[in-house]
Amino acid sequence: MSRSEVPGGVRWIGYLFYVAVLAAGYYYNLTFVQLGIIDLGTRLVGLSSSRVSAVMAGFAVAALVAAVMAGRVIDRRGWSRDLRVKLRILFFVVAVQTLLTVTAPLVGSATQLTVWVLFCSVTLGVGMPVTFSLMVDLIPVRHRGAGAAVVAGLAFAAAAVYPLEWRLEEFAPVMTVLMAPAVLILGVVAYRRFRFVDMLATQHERFGIGRFAPVRTASSAFWLPVALMFSVFFIDSLGFLRIIDTPVYIHASWQSPEVGVRGFIAVSHVLGAAMAGVLYTVFGRRWLFVWILGLFAFTHLLYTFHLATALSGVDPPLLLPFFYVLAVSFYTTLNFALWPDLSTPRNIGLHAGLGVGIAGWLASFLSTSLALYSKGAGISLLEHLRYVNALALLLAVAFPLFLYFRRMRTLAGLGRAP
Amino acid sequence: MNLAVIPLLIVALLLVSGNPEVEIAQLMMTGVHQVEDHDGALIVGEAEVNIPTGAEVPGPIYVIGGEMTVAGVVTGDVIQLAGTLTVKSGATIGDELQHVAGTLVVSDGAEIGRRTSLDVTAIVGDDAAGSFIPGVVLTLFLAGVGYMLTNKRSGALDNVASAVTGHPVAMFTVGLLLAMTFISIFVFMALTLVLLPVAVVGVLAGLMTLGYGVIAWGHLIGARLPIRHQRLATVIGVIVATTGIQIAGRIAILGDVIVAAVLLTGIGAVVVTYFGVTQFRPAPLPD
Repeated sequence: MSRSEVPGGVRWIGYLFYVAVLAAGYYYNLTFVQLGIIDLGTRLVGLSSSRVSAVMAGFAVAALVAAVMAGRVIDRRGWSRDLRVKLRILFFVVAVQTLLTVTAPLVGSATQLTVWVLFCSVTLGVGMPVTFSLMVDLIPVRHRGAGAAVVAGLAFAAAAVYPLEWRLEEFAPVMTVLMAPAVLILGVVAYRRFRFVDMLATQHERFGIGRFAPVRTASSAFWLPVALMFSVFFIDSLGFLRIIDTPVYIHASWQSPEVGVRGFIAVSHVLGAAMAGVLYTVFGRRWLFVWILGLFAFTHLLYTFHLATALSGVDPPLLLPFFYVLAVSFYTTLNFALWPDLSTPRNIGLHAGLGVGIAGWLASFLSTSLALYSKGAGISLLEHLRYVNALALLLAVAFPLFLYFRRMRTLAGLGRAP
Repeated sequence: MNLAVIPLLIVALLLVSGNPEVEIAQLMMTGVHQVEDHDGALIVGEAEVNIPTGAEVPGPIYVIGGEMTVAGVVTGDVIQLAGTLTVKSGATIGDELQHVAGTLVVSDGAEIGRRTSLDVTAIVGDDAAGSFIPGVVLTLFLAGVGYMLTNKRSGALDNVASAVTGHPVAMFTVGLLLAMTFISIFVFMALTLVLLPVAVVGVLAGLMTLGYGVIAWGHLIGARLPIRHQRLATVIGVIVATTGIQIAGRIAILGDVIVAAVLLTGIGAVVVTYFGVTQFRPAPLPD
């Protein structure tokens, strides 16, 4: 089926489906998985911070292994080019996740938690390459920055506004209510024959090849973005987990009782995602990485300055979470668009599995574990943020220098050419 | 945060850094604060600050916005650059009360060591014509620079103008990001005092970029006017652009949004074209 045979209305259904699946999935990840599991382990099961950090590290490794294996399997079997198979896998993943969400409040011991986390990580790992690869079927290359921005903005804005309390008892009912109809819809769409699904399933032939593709998996063109994304996710979680654990910061921002402050955070997320979407489309990934690293360095500089000076006696200004939110929205938008744009429909499964698994999950949960360990070891927030700040500053300086010297080497190579 | 506070904050910090007796300074940017005991200089931003009866603070105090009420004792100087300062009956300002601008209310029973005033409105003129003088001077200055640039670097203005018209959303985004980030960085630098000169240079560079963007808008408007002489068209265009910005700035909310959009788009276009040295070409994307 050629391009002109896919009507505009059907293409819009594809856009909306992609946004709905990815935004809901990321909202689930941001709230229930990243914050809910910590709450489950520490408060409900009563484990120490160091035990929970070990569980989280195990979670990350299991999710990564599952993501890479699932990605490789869907590529090899040709499922990465078959939208209907991807919808069926997604149906199973969401169904199991719904079951896990419902049973989460019943977890009462360390053993139960370990088993629960293992199931959760495997289903999430399988879901990662499948959901990220939907972009090659549903979003044309030209619109990927915008699509990624809408997903990031919606997920973060929703997470900033609701739920008010970061507790498992708050997360679980909300997620169940959201996921139950999603399972039903996915089941119907995946197993009944619809003409619009057939039409959408052909689109990867037209725009499935990403703007930076083809890129070999065993090349620096793929592994450099993975390393950079890993660094960004690592810095984010390493700082954020300790910041949200500090009442003066969290109650003046993400957990503020004032609706206006939460609204400000939500709007800032949308603004940051929109800006990132535009910049990604117009400039490409390198400039966006430079901005992300710069924003993180500046944000942590602001936090350490606020902590270290007389200003710490005063309520922290909203400027601090604003820059944090901006940086997070920037890199999340990039994360949604980058892996499909570094892939073709033949290798999107493995690339998304490696990219999201290593850069996203492994980095986030390793740094979460490290942050929990630092808290357990009695390291002060200021000292902890100094390390995070040092890492952020190092990357903010090193990456532009790397780009500069690589450009110089290229130019020198051109100069030697006959 | 009100952006108009930033230049005043830098001025206040320059005054603080020039005072050898001051070792530390505290900035109160937002919120309501009762100050009963304080060391070093105090800068009142957009906050509501009260020194209650019976309290004694050393000063100096710089009021650059918000509302400052003195009911107790300030042993040092109080300098008002903007905002509202109220000195209540029974209050004491031991040294100098210097009023530059803003609303000052001094009760009869207040005790002031020395009182000086540099009335800016008296210099500029308080009438309607006087309030337009800075705008007219700025317009003429930008029009003059626009004339020179059209004469010597017309291609540069063309490059900036084509970035504005060809990619307005991208230019606005770049301008917004640069403005938000660099304003915060310069304020942060100014707070360190050591980097205050760098912050001043940075603010000047930012204003220069802003001015260049307005001239590019003027060049763009001039090109659409039925004037054959290109330099004259740019001059008229700059006058139209600056006048339009000033008129729009007087309309609440909508006017501010329009002005911000125009200025930020100009800044973005100036930066991505390297001040017009090159044309802006977005990353190639398949159809």
